[in-house]
Amino acid sequence: MREVPMDFDTSVKQAVYTLVANAGEMPDASRVAVEVGAGIAEVEDAFARLYKKRILVPEPGDRSRIRMAAPFSGVPTSFLVKAKGNAYFANCVWDALGVLAAFHVDGVVEASDGHTREPMTLEIHGGSPIPIECVIHFAVPVAQWWDDMIHT
Amino acid sequence: MLLFRSEETVQAWCAARGLPVRPLVRLDQIWFLAKRWHENRLTVDFRRPGPDEMVGIFSGIGLTGPFWDPTADHW
Repeated sequence: MREVPMDFDTSVKQAVYTLVANAGEMPDASRVAVEVGAGIAEVEDAFARLYKKRILVPEPGDRSRIRMAAPFSGVPTSFLVKAKGNAYFANCVWDALGVLAAFHVDGVVEASDGHTREPMTLEIHGGSPIPIECVIHFAVPVAQWWDDMIHT
Repeated sequence: MLLFRSEETVQAWCAARGLPVRPLVRLDQIWFLAKRWHENRLTVDFRRPGPDEMVGIFSGIGLTGPFWDPTADHW
């Protein structure tokens, strides 16, 4: 079967995800440009279009950097995922478990209580979470998530 | 979406910010959502769930009402 070529934005998206998944570090536009063989400005434009499609969130004030490529975070957060011999920052507790779901692997999330900062560890073992005393609070209604995704 | 040890620490967090306590979700529920949202995230043909699909996913684990409806204008 003939392989259908990817459009440019999909190539950029795949490059972002492949690079962050392999290295645990969010690539910037210059790194992605090398990966897809395009100019930095073209990649930055693709970042902006992917934001409109709700795929990526660029860093506010810097279109060359990515703040969020869910479930991965481009900046350190209080959700550190350890899997595949790497460490990944995630955007929230949902995304932290989402990193493990995306990789289809067991792993550990080092987090903390949102109020007290007490360290808390979540573990996926055998494809299921090991029960611990915890709750997850959704502060923003679903209809408002993309009004300010970084806040959400 | 933040993680808390207990409902009490959620209440303290909300009170400190003058925010209402919104829905609380269990670990098994958030794991279900993590898989549903992200298990195909690294594939070329990944797509986000549409609005109706989202409502179905949430209601399937007992998360119902306007808070969980992406088309709602009140909650």
